[in-house]
Amino acid sequence: MQEKNIDLERIRAAVKQKIEEAVPEAKINYCLTCGLCASGCPATGLEDMDPRKFLRLLVLGQDEQILETNWIYACTMCQRCKYACPMGIDVGRIVYEIRGMRPREERPRNLQRSCDLQRQNNSTGIPNEDFVWVVNDVLEEVRENEPQWKDLTAPIDKKGATYYLNQNAKEPTVEPEEMVPLWKILHVAGIDWTYSSEWWDGANYCLFTGDPEDWEYTVRKQAEVVDSLGCRYYINTE
Amino acid sequence: MFFATLEGLRRFNIPHKFEFVSIISLYAKWLREGRLKVDPAWNKDGLKFTVQDPCKLVRQGLGDVVAEDLRYVIKKVAGEENFIDVWPRMSNNYCCGGGGGSLQAGFVENRRKYGKLKFDQLSATGADVVITPCHNCHTQVIDICDFYGGKWKTTHLWNWLEKALVIDDSGVQAGKD
Amino acid sequence: MTTPRGSVLVVGGGIAGVQAALDLADSGFYVHLVERSSAIGGSMSQLDKTFPTNDCSACILSPKLVECGRHLNINLLTLSEILSLSGEPGSFKVKIRQNPRYVDVEKCIACGSCAEKCPKKVPDEFDLGLDTRKAIYLRYPQAVPLKYAIDPEHCIYLKKPGRCGFCEKVCPAGAINFKDTPKEYELEVGSVILALGFRPYSPESLDFTGYKRLKNVVTSMEFERVLSPSGPCMGHMERPSDHQEPKRIAWLQCIGSRDINRACHGYCSSICCMQAIKQAVISREHSASGDVDATIFYMDMRTYGKGFEAYYERAKAEGIRFKRARVHTVCPATGDNLRVRYADEEGKIREDEFDLVVLSVGLETDPQVMRLLHDMGIEVDADSFAETTCFRPVETSKKGIYVCGALAEPKDIPQSVVEASAAALEAERLLHVSRWTETKKKEFPPERDVHAEPPRIGVFVCSCGINIASVVDVQAVTDYAWTLPGVVFAQNNLFTCSQDTINQMAETIKKERLNRVVVASCTPRTHEALFQETLREAGINKYLFEMANIRDQDSWVHQHDPEAATQKAKDLVRMAVAKVRGDEPLPYNSVPVTKSALVIGAGIAGMTAALSLADQGFPVTLIERKDRLGGHGRKFFRTWQGQQVQPYLDELVQMVEANDKINVRVKTTIEEVSGSVGQFKTKLSDGTELEHGVAIVAVGAESYKPREGKWNYLYGKNPNVHTLLELDQRFIEDDQGLSGLNQAVFIHCVGSRVPERPYCSRVCCTHAIDQALHLKDLNPDMDIFMIYRDIRTYGKREHLYQKARAKGIIFIRYDLENLPRVSEDSGGLKLEVRDPIVGADITLHPDLLVLASAVRPRDDVGELSKLFKCAMTSEGFLLEAHMKLRPVDFATDGVYLAGLCHYPKPVEETISQAKAAASRAGLVLSRDAVPAESITAQVNLQKCTGCSVCTQVCAYHAVNMDPNTGKAVVDTGLCKGCGACVAGCRSDAITLKNIGNEQLMAAVEAAMEDF
Repeated sequence: MQEKNIDLERIRAAVKQKIEEAVPEAKINYCLTCGLCASGCPATGLEDMDPRKFLRLLVLGQDEQILETNWIYACTMCQRCKYACPMGIDVGRIVYEIRGMRPREERPRNLQRSCDLQRQNNSTGIPNEDFVWVVNDVLEEVRENEPQWKDLTAPIDKKGATYYLNQNAKEPTVEPEEMVPLWKILHVAGIDWTYSSEWWDGANYCLFTGDPEDWEYTVRKQAEVVDSLGCRYYINTE
Repeated sequence: MFFATLEGLRRFNIPHKFEFVSIISLYAKWLREGRLKVDPAWNKDGLKFTVQDPCKLVRQGLGDVVAEDLRYVIKKVAGEENFIDVWPRMSNNYCCGGGGGSLQAGFVENRRKYGKLKFDQLSATGADVVITPCHNCHTQVIDICDFYGGKWKTTHLWNWLEKALVIDDSGVQAGKD
Repeated sequence: MTTPRGSVLVVGGGIAGVQAALDLADSGFYVHLVERSSAIGGSMSQLDKTFPTNDCSACILSPKLVECGRHLNINLLTLSEILSLSGEPGSFKVKIRQNPRYVDVEKCIACGSCAEKCPKKVPDEFDLGLDTRKAIYLRYPQAVPLKYAIDPEHCIYLKKPGRCGFCEKVCPAGAINFKDTPKEYELEVGSVILALGFRPYSPESLDFTGYKRLKNVVTSMEFERVLSPSGPCMGHMERPSDHQEPKRIAWLQCIGSRDINRACHGYCSSICCMQAIKQAVISREHSASGDVDATIFYMDMRTYGKGFEAYYERAKAEGIRFKRARVHTVCPATGDNLRVRYADEEGKIREDEFDLVVLSVGLETDPQVMRLLHDMGIEVDADSFAETTCFRPVETSKKGIYVCGALAEPKDIPQSVVEASAAALEAERLLHVSRWTETKKKEFPPERDVHAEPPRIGVFVCSCGINIASVVDVQAVTDYAWTLPGVVFAQNNLFTCSQDTINQMAETIKKERLNRVVVASCTPRTHEALFQETLREAGINKYLFEMANIRDQDSWVHQHDPEAATQKAKDLVRMAVAKVRGDEPLPYNSVPVTKSALVIGAGIAGMTAALSLADQGFPVTLIERKDRLGGHGRKFFRTWQGQQVQPYLDELVQMVEANDKINVRVKTTIEEVSGSVGQFKTKLSDGTELEHGVAIVAVGAESYKPREGKWNYLYGKNPNVHTLLELDQRFIEDDQGLSGLNQAVFIHCVGSRVPERPYCSRVCCTHAIDQALHLKDLNPDMDIFMIYRDIRTYGKREHLYQKARAKGIIFIRYDLENLPRVSEDSGGLKLEVRDPIVGADITLHPDLLVLASAVRPRDDVGELSKLFKCAMTSEGFLLEAHMKLRPVDFATDGVYLAGLCHYPKPVEETISQAKAAASRAGLVLSRDAVPAESITAQVNLQKCTGCSVCTQVCAYHAVNMDPNTGKAVVDTGLCKGCGACVAGCRSDAITLKNIGNEQLMAAVEAAMEDF
């Protein structure tokens, strides 16, 4: 597609500069325009964009186009481009920074909402009491209905447990029975573990909105909870 | 997401006393140690399994080591001969297209076009079951399977691990104490 | 320094080490050549064909290896490693360990029986593991020394004595020695030359390439072995999975090069682009059907060398596909095929399927070599190559220790050969007072006069192990030889070339009073010199000898018809006997040497060459057509490494002027040249007549100025449009105006790689980028754009390209279909160019437009080349004797070339080449006389009609008309024995000695006898 002509009296690549300041290792300028990234990227062609063209627009200071394109949400920041890029350029990281440059109210609503909810505790927004209730309810049901699992446990806030386990919020909200297999496995393996009644969500959508403060806040909260329980290991379930 | 916590702890230099681990690494470890015992005998019909390597866990997380662990567990659970690997694989695998918040972001058409590569790759294995150890992958793989008319079943690993568990006295007793 | 040693240690037996050793040994120094493996030859011996000439690599390399192996003044130490090095220039002490071969090289006749019986198969490292060899092995069929070796890592007997030992039982020569032990030598040498080469990068850690994961993904080095006739597929192109011939092949470039992410090699490996094109071209030749679909995926096509661009264009014209794209991942497809998905330059996704994928892997330094360099205290750069500088391109950080070849930077064979000679020159310069002090000289007994004797012919029929004997009935051939007229002796030998047989042959010649010898064996290419020397040792003239090639031309090609092969062997022997009967002893001609040199052109090349010779005590006349010394170098600001050129040049001029061995003549040109190697007579424009033994042509080139036409870009019309050298001038003058510029734009390839000048000018990419960086230093806020076609910053120059990008210099690609458009716009300059990646036109407003214009040959080079009887390329550059292995010699003996008149090149390569030319010239100047051809033309004055056709057809100007007699005369010093005059003569008046009608007709008649 023929783009509009680009007149470069002076290059003012403000977005590029901003990224370089935030991420000194971004190496945007190093791009050889070899296209290896575009060849390996499943998002190539979406929104008439690909990682190489994206970097090129940044270098040429086409900031308007960069800030406007929704390709930043087509890119999943998977870093497969960086994996093989001869210069090791991390397009995912660059996309993250640009997502953050978008005003909150102009970001995809549900994505931002997931993070906002996460900041309060978990990405689905169910109250912590509900999580505790669901866990206990499901556990009760298994112990009653499946005699061989009458001793199954799903401890919550057990201080000093060796392992801390997080739980993707999707299960307690929409498919609670999906929690059971893991409990059983842990039980058979004889693992001393616990959930926590706060900051228990295994997902974290604040990784994707572009605000490092939100991301940091949520991870910090998790760390505090796990340390306060005194667990040696923090198991992520995904 | 594994990477969210792993990288968050590192990037923001968050103090912590625990060690951050993946359940996949632990499954493999417990199987190797004999702490968990499984028998693939349940798979009489020879259901074929393949796998999705979550970017956040593998490429951005623990790399090929955890991808090998993942395969080790699936092969133990489903039978060595019933695992069909994908290509590209492990650290070089494609993102499913559900990552980066795209399931929430709402650009459904883009997300599905993105996922076409994953769909083709998984279809090419001819597998009956796709193991997705990440919730985003799980949701996306189910969606592209439906959308593009795939025939496989998309599941977490734990369901099959549970199915293959050999529960002898020592195992259950351990939990009792 | 006390009197230095007259010997040199050369470490590494690849082409660079071999060339350095030969140069040194042929000019009066004794050489110890140390090689880690069991045979010399290095990486070049593993290649199939070489670019851009498509010569068979082994074929052009073998003669040099054979020469090296047989050289009286080269001590070949294979299976050897350096333990320690101490001392100083002129006197180094070196400890060497030679690991046991377990095979006595004096006894081994390389018959191969041992390997045949050896039960232990191991991966063959020479074939990069694509095939197996035995635990007792010959590194490769043309190995020098041609001796087997036992691999102690795998030998069953050596691991568990008492078991196996089959080789010892079957060896007919008793050569196996299981008790062999390591030997340590302590040598004293005056200088050391490091030629340790490279190893190919292993892409195993790059999972996305599929290497070691998908069967039909191979490296470029592996593919060389696949193509090679001595490789695992015997030259039939096969892919690994099913041994089928691949029809669709892809090459992926820059695997392990220009990659700071996964490979950690930021440099360009320099050779891979040409290697890939060559492989694509050759794969079509190897294919039975010839319809191989060859695709090369690349970033920049770097065909920057002499003849490279033409090779590239020819490949394109032949239908080889070039895709400016990089594949992220190689995926498996059905039937062991491979699928690649890639984005084209517009970002469109495409998919292709191939039968085979070749990874063009880069070059890197072997970690073992790194340790050795470290132990020796040799500094290496960040890329792990030996550190050198532009002005001292073959000198290491340690005085008296020199480096050549890929150890200092990835490079191709010609450049390695140039550096090998340059490194040899440095050693010669250092040790010249001790020339001929440690060398040995072969003495032969006086020759028997056989003129009056009737022919007494001896025939030696070789079995060549089983090579000949398994097909040809050698006993029947020997019996038959006895029946031929003149034959008084015939014998069959297992290996005629083995040392004991050779000794016995000399004895037989004396005892049987033979005066003609025929050996029926292999090829004269490798063995004629050996047998001829045997004749001399036995006291007869070496030209009383013929070879019948009953192996390469008989047993090897008629394996399935032994009877006919035996008959053919008899025919060949009968012909050789018939011819040798008429052979006469010929004189060993030589030409006395005038020990002085003429160097033409006093630029960097000419001055460097002159100093290189003068420092060894050889008088030099250095002539320069202009009124001052310095040449083209006067126009350069700095080298790509950042060294200022002008101070260097001033120093060079000073040294030349201060050197009393150099006679400088400015404003002087050449009028006339006569004579030949050793004895040139040259008339200069000032009327003087010079006598000199050699000449070095270093007349430089010019910068193209695009005053009009398609590549004008307002040059000469707008004051802000410059050529690179004009900008250099502003840098030299420290022009303050430059730092005030807002936008500078460089257009690359101005007048290069275009129909009227189809070659790449090699230097401009690096030069332009270095200038852009200098502008950035002057004003960091300046916007700089490079409008380019392919960036060709080969080798370590790639770091400069990376640095330029890092500093924000923007590179926009154009091609000939989409040229940048330059116009004037309200007083300023305007440049429009399409950026293929964003797919948009970009408009720039430069305050400075720099044209990277071509380097073009001088118009008057043609006349000079005629005077010295040298050839020229179609582009107008001077043409060396052989593009690969004789890069500074002309076909005319005693004349050498260096610098830009050969091809565009940067300062460091010019300096290397000048030193190399001096080293080659030293081969002549170091001797009192040089050998000349014995088989020369002779004129029968009775028959000569004086028509002068012979003088016109002689390419060497060796035939002239005698003004007194009106008949032709041959200058035996110039005559090469090519026979053009013989064929041209209408009166049958010219013949070649021993290849006259008499001898040839005798052979032909003998051939027809049975019909």
